[in-house]
Amino acid sequence: MTDPHQLDELLRAQEGDAGCDAGVPIMDQYVEIELRGEDPSERFPGTTIHLRVCPGCRADHDGVLEAARRFADLDPE
Amino acid sequence: VSTAPRRTRRPTDQSGATARRADGSSSWIPTIRVTSTPPPSSTTSCKRAATHELHRRRRQLKALSGPELDDVAQQCADDAMMKILARIDDFEGLSRFTTWAYKFVIFEVSSKVARHAWQHHPPSAEEPTWERLPDTLTPKPGDQAERREQLAALVKAVEEDLTPRQREVFVAIALNDVSIDVLALQLDSNRNAIYKNLFDARRKLRASLAAAGRPLSDEEAHA
Repeated sequence: MTDPHQLDELLRAQEGDAGCDAGVPIMDQYVEIELRGEDPSERFPGTTIHLRVCPGCRADHDGVLEAARRFADLDPE
Repeated sequence: VSTAPRRTRRPTDQSGATARRADGSSSWIPTIRVTSTPPPSSTTSCKRAATHELHRRRRQLKALSGPELDDVAQQCADDAMMKILARIDDFEGLSRFTTWAYKFVIFEVSSKVARHAWQHHPPSAEEPTWERLPDTLTPKPGDQAERREQLAALVKAVEEDLTPRQREVFVAIALNDVSIDVLALQLDSNRNAIYKNLFDARRKLRASLAAAGRPLSDEEAHA
């Protein structure tokens, strides 16, 4: 059977989506909110919506989150 | 000398609230600001982050071997460091400095991986057709008539209601799984512009389905 949810996902276009460019200047702040265990959607609701549907921005977000998590303590001066 | 209070920028977020500043800082900053030269440890950290990110995205880098991957990591770290140096005065302390700096590294890796994928596996020049619909969307014998009609309405809407650009972007990304960044390079555009095309196409298709009596949600059915 064709999955009805698949079509809904394929055509997902949610109101309030901030787009790709809006996430660029705030991505560092966004992931740090997550690393503190808080919810970034309160401060950046448009980017939260966007990250659910844009694989390119999602990959960048995941990369920044992982780098911040793994290498933040490697500031060796 | 003016005694007027110095005006400072009050950074806000997408909710309109004032952002709070991060307590953490970095010993990279004074070194870079005073000497305009990154400390060796900072370039090492950037390369480490770039290498890790390249490995995380290695599915898109099949043609690269170990030494080549190392060269790309070095290029990403060097290019990111140039941007960090150029933008150092923009750092407002709203995140830890390392997180702010790694952001440039990740964006650099993202950009180079997309360019590599585009050069080695450009999107097919062939016009994508509906025969190449993902299996999950192809009507199956067991599908109800209503479902088949909804898919038929979608095909009609893609062909008749989208602009040529919206159709090109929607078919490539949504139906043929082309990366948004690869398509942006192919069309000499950028990620944000392509995403806007895709977003507008999706909205238009949802509206077309609702207008054809085949809405995707209860909300659209009653709009």
